[in-house]
Amino acid sequence: MKLLTASVLALASATAAFAQDLPQASSQWFTDGQAALQEKLNRQPNTGRAKNVILFIADGNGVASNYMNRLWAGQQEGGMGDDYVQPQEAFPNLALVKTYNINAQTPDSAPTAGAMNTGVKQRFNLINLGENAIHDDCSTVAGNELTLFSEMMSDAGKSVGAITTARLTHATPAAVYAKTANRNWEDEVPADCSAQTDIASQLVNALETGVVDIALGGGARYFVPKGTATPNGGEGHRPDGVNLVEMAQSNGIQYVSDKAGLDATTNDKPILGMWTDSHASYEADRPETEPSLADMTRKAIDYLGQNENGFYLEIEAGRVDHANHDTNAKRAMIDGKAFSDAVALADELTDDADTLIIVTADHEHAIAMNGYCGRGTPIDGLCYDVAQTGIMHSDDLVLGDDGKPYTVVGYLNGVGSVMVEQADGKFTAPEGRPEITQEEAQDIDYVQQSLIPKSSETHSGVDVALYAKGPWAHLFDGTIEQNVIFHVMDYAVTAE
Amino acid sequence: MLTRRNLVLAALAVPLASRVMAERAEAMKPRDLYEKGGAFTERARALDGQRVRFEGFMAPPLKADAAFFVMTQRPMAVCPFCESEAEWPDDILAVYIRRRLDVHPFNVRIEATGRLELGRFVDPETGFLSMVRVVDATYG
Repeated sequence: MKLLTASVLALASATAAFAQDLPQASSQWFTDGQAALQEKLNRQPNTGRAKNVILFIADGNGVASNYMNRLWAGQQEGGMGDDYVQPQEAFPNLALVKTYNINAQTPDSAPTAGAMNTGVKQRFNLINLGENAIHDDCSTVAGNELTLFSEMMSDAGKSVGAITTARLTHATPAAVYAKTANRNWEDEVPADCSAQTDIASQLVNALETGVVDIALGGGARYFVPKGTATPNGGEGHRPDGVNLVEMAQSNGIQYVSDKAGLDATTNDKPILGMWTDSHASYEADRPETEPSLADMTRKAIDYLGQNENGFYLEIEAGRVDHANHDTNAKRAMIDGKAFSDAVALADELTDDADTLIIVTADHEHAIAMNGYCGRGTPIDGLCYDVAQTGIMHSDDLVLGDDGKPYTVVGYLNGVGSVMVEQADGKFTAPEGRPEITQEEAQDIDYVQQSLIPKSSETHSGVDVALYAKGPWAHLFDGTIEQNVIFHVMDYAVTAE
Repeated sequence: MLTRRNLVLAALAVPLASRVMAERAEAMKPRDLYEKGGAFTERARALDGQRVRFEGFMAPPLKADAAFFVMTQRPMAVCPFCESEAEWPDDILAVYIRRRLDVHPFNVRIEATGRLELGRFVDPETGFLSMVRVVDATYG
């Protein structure tokens, strides 16, 4: 054994000496590579018990979307983008995650978030019910309710939070606290359904019973009756006439509807905040009166961090997904940057020694990157050619065989299909693919060209990445099933 | 000297000039009407009652023989996973048309010219509530 160890050491030493003698050894790429190697050799697994768990989910932000966000963030800082490191990309542990649902090769956000919050895969379009439950069938709810990570954490004396830029009753945040046969039963269940309540009612119930302590996002209309004004100036949507906002307030829950209100909350009572009647704003459109995802993250950690037993917090960037569905890549990448800003803040506000931070997505989209673009090509624009000399792209646009330029980011299907419905009902492109200028491509409202006409671009089943740091983060490795995330979280908070 | 004839000509000339200007000027977009948070922009308030030209997309009409259509900033994607029911974006514009509605594909850019009208209006046929409209509009 001793001999074997000595041999390994000798081999490592010989390899290092050999590497230093290589003609490329003085290259910055080479020395950076050596530094990265050393950083990995120095790494020590954290096997302490996790006091806190933060689960970041950027909805619809698979590997391709994440690449787009990386380049956008880097280019906003004046760089070329590809060498930029998003905060989560500096985390030491990485896995690829398989996102399919029990009965769907292409997943939706309800069962994917449910898998992360319960430890089992679930069926398409329902949330936190077992494999025998059927979508849209209330009679299959009873007996199929799963126990949630939030309930386990609450029982263990920890605090729980859910924050999002989507509606709080939307699939990903709902998976923290709700069990429903249909993700769309946000403020109403079928008349003959008594086995569950609507999702908004379940959230207020979770706040009242102490399973959830802070919930921030959009979606106030599902908490206010039809015909009644919401705190945001719109109109409520609940058909049952119940005012859940008033009910929550009368039960000692602080209710806030803008950033000033959030800043004025105290840390002695649960907090429910909704800035909009439906989804919160895209980051590109967000007024100053509305908290950013980072603002919500700061408040949630400040509030939950009071609990000496720790907390579980799910943080969703919900609108990367929506912008991708619109094939409006620019809003998706801007929301992606807001997401990584929230990740950086959460990392800064917590201690790696006792906080497991997981950064992932629930699924990918039918998004892909075109080539061959030179370095520094704006990720939100047209593809510029690779230059023969130097590093930056040339001034020539790369053209398709039709002689027209194209954007770096594209989608396989969506509203920007090059095939348009004609008077006879057929979908064709008589003029060919539309010409695009750089000004048009970089406009905030530009929708990328796609192939298949669809009124809304689809998800895809492609893997998503997972980045992690903190206690037991090293258990995230290789290619995993999405439900494994729950098992690592659970192990990390209970490890002896 | 201001005669009756001059007055009539002047009155005719103003809308004509306004019309020509509307057609020559760069087309506005529905987003030009709104600040972040949904309030009307200064530009929108200044153009209330004026002839204007907008470019955008025709959302699928609410009914076949409707007196208006909704112009959207981007093609009106209908995402079943984003919304549990039909949902309008914030930056829309109702276009009340002068003649019969000729439906265009929702993802083909169109232009509409007419008179800008700000203020709450509930369409009597459909119940559709608009806060801003282009009325007496032509489009294509």
